[in-house]
Amino acid sequence: MAFDLNSLLAFIIFGVTIGVVYGIVALGISLIYSGLDIVHFAHGEMYMFGAFFGLVLAENVGLPYPVALVGAMIITAVVGMLVERVFYRRLTRAGGGYTVAGMGMIICGFGMSVAMVNVAYFIWGAEAEPFRANLDYIPRLQFPGDIEVPESYVLTAIISVILMFTLHYFLRYTKPGLAVRAVAHNKDIAYLMGINVPLMISLIFGVACALAAAAGVLIGPMQSVQVEMGYLMLMKAFAAAVVGGFGSLPGAIIGGIMVGVFENLGAAYISASHKDIYAFLLLILVLMIKPSGLFGVEAKVKA
Amino acid sequence: MIILSKLTDIFEYLAKRHRLLPWLLAYVLLLPLPFVLAGLFNEYLIDLVNRICLFILLAVGLNIVKGFCGQVTVGHIGLYAIGAVTSAVLSLEPGGFGGALGFGWPVWLAIPTAVMVTAFAGLIIGLPSVRLQGAYLALATLGLGESVRIFIAVTPALGSSTGLMMIPSPSVGSFTLDSFTSYYYIVMTAALFGIYFSFSILRSATGRAFQAIREDTTAAAVNGINVIKYKLLAFVFSAVYAGLAGALFAHMPPGYLHHNNFTVIEMVTLLLMVVLGGIGNVWGGVIGAIVVAIAYDQTKDLVFYFMDRPIVIQPLVFGLSMVLLVMFMPRGIGGWIEDFQRNRRFIRRSEERLSGSTRNT
Repeated sequence: MAFDLNSLLAFIIFGVTIGVVYGIVALGISLIYSGLDIVHFAHGEMYMFGAFFGLVLAENVGLPYPVALVGAMIITAVVGMLVERVFYRRLTRAGGGYTVAGMGMIICGFGMSVAMVNVAYFIWGAEAEPFRANLDYIPRLQFPGDIEVPESYVLTAIISVILMFTLHYFLRYTKPGLAVRAVAHNKDIAYLMGINVPLMISLIFGVACALAAAAGVLIGPMQSVQVEMGYLMLMKAFAAAVVGGFGSLPGAIIGGIMVGVFENLGAAYISASHKDIYAFLLLILVLMIKPSGLFGVEAKVKA
Repeated sequence: MIILSKLTDIFEYLAKRHRLLPWLLAYVLLLPLPFVLAGLFNEYLIDLVNRICLFILLAVGLNIVKGFCGQVTVGHIGLYAIGAVTSAVLSLEPGGFGGALGFGWPVWLAIPTAVMVTAFAGLIIGLPSVRLQGAYLALATLGLGESVRIFIAVTPALGSSTGLMMIPSPSVGSFTLDSFTSYYYIVMTAALFGIYFSFSILRSATGRAFQAIREDTTAAAVNGINVIKYKLLAFVFSAVYAGLAGALFAHMPPGYLHHNNFTVIEMVTLLLMVVLGGIGNVWGGVIGAIVVAIAYDQTKDLVFYFMDRPIVIQPLVFGLSMVLLVMFMPRGIGGWIEDFQRNRRFIRRSEERLSGSTRNT
């Protein structure tokens, strides 16, 4: 492909928008990690469920797109808290992180992810369903050099920024947010301070799953909604979280943008059919060179 | 339980004479299995047994890195794929179907080469373990394993969507091992040897070092164990198992290889074997492999209809059973085996003490 500046700019713009979505999912994974010291392997499925809830709310119930987005976030948050309460609490109570229970938690999440994909097969079937959202009220963005950004991408960028600032406000300036940060910092001391730690962990799960659902609904109009979309998203969000540094919230977003741009440039200039590998390559590269990521706190090590 | 106890007695008696004797007995006992199966049931069961043997190899190999050394890896199926594809490509005739690569090596040369290539890949997959722990390592290995599959799926030279066909079978002299029965002897020998070798590792200084790293990496390092070296060694060992299983799988009749054989479901199946067997217990892993492989085979084509929609039930069952196993039976079958062994030891000691005390008085 001939190299020209305009198409490069276009690839970067699309990479950034898709990367922000990766970043939102990565935010959830990072949040769960900082709260529980575990990596949630079924998070991609939360994203997939969110997309489907949004689809059902928008098409079958007939809600406008932004309302469907909020509705999907709420429903998925409830589902996430339910899964946490029923399945994960037994394991996380035994201690997350680098214990044997931590290994159990990884395996459990892995199994959960496979089970949830197939629950989704039950409900929605295997076909990819188009997500037709009416977005006419959003302006198309014109960039110099005949680059036109479609509405769904503009909307994604706007909503992502809103979500990030809401999360920031929640964690920084509200009382539950403070409690969540205390739990993330040290569970034992949080207990002593009279914080209901299990409830806060449920809350963390709920928020993380709501973020994943938002990402799912946002991606819906760009691609289609299908049952198997969660797995690749999980890998890319992981890559984003690792690149930005696990447990760092701004890092997750920046990591997501990096993964998105890297992937789009790789697909454009190296080989489009290998597109899904680039994220892994970046992930492995970062893990080998600087495992704590760009903004990460040093990995906590079992003493 | 009594029969089991008697059987264990026989094996323990033999083990006292020479440590290889029980293995020889097991080998001899397993020799007529395909004829028994073919006589009682049908040929298909032999194929199933062959695949069980490969799964045993995989599960035992995964147990080394996961159970002995405590490193969480989720990318084991990628190593299996590397072994299978390497061996297939090396032994295929050049200019094969659909642009597939081929070097035309003899099969008996291709298999060891594939094992070595996989061992090297295992070293690379193990490299992150030097710096990463727990969840990070699981991520890195998952990424590597999945990229291997995607790479195979999109590269025409490695089969891509059509898969590799007509992979030659190994032969001894002029006799080609292309039937289920003849191939059984290869995989059975490999599986039995794999189990034996895994026990050898466990009992050696290397195995002790693995366990020390699993229990506490810092304490192990303080006690003079070269943590990096042994972690990588564990990965290489398990990669050798996976590579051997993969290479044998590639040449297994009907000699066809497709990247669908290395998906997440296979990874879940493999993990389920180790979890069901109890992480770190060799016999548990073997039993887990047998049980899960049979379940995998029986449920593979099990479809039932829900609102006129065909639903494949297997992944749901496997995923959920993994979750429930980790929740309610974290020690797996291996836990039962350990209890059984401990009880026997306890009973024997009590008997000895009792008989000793009566003799004294």
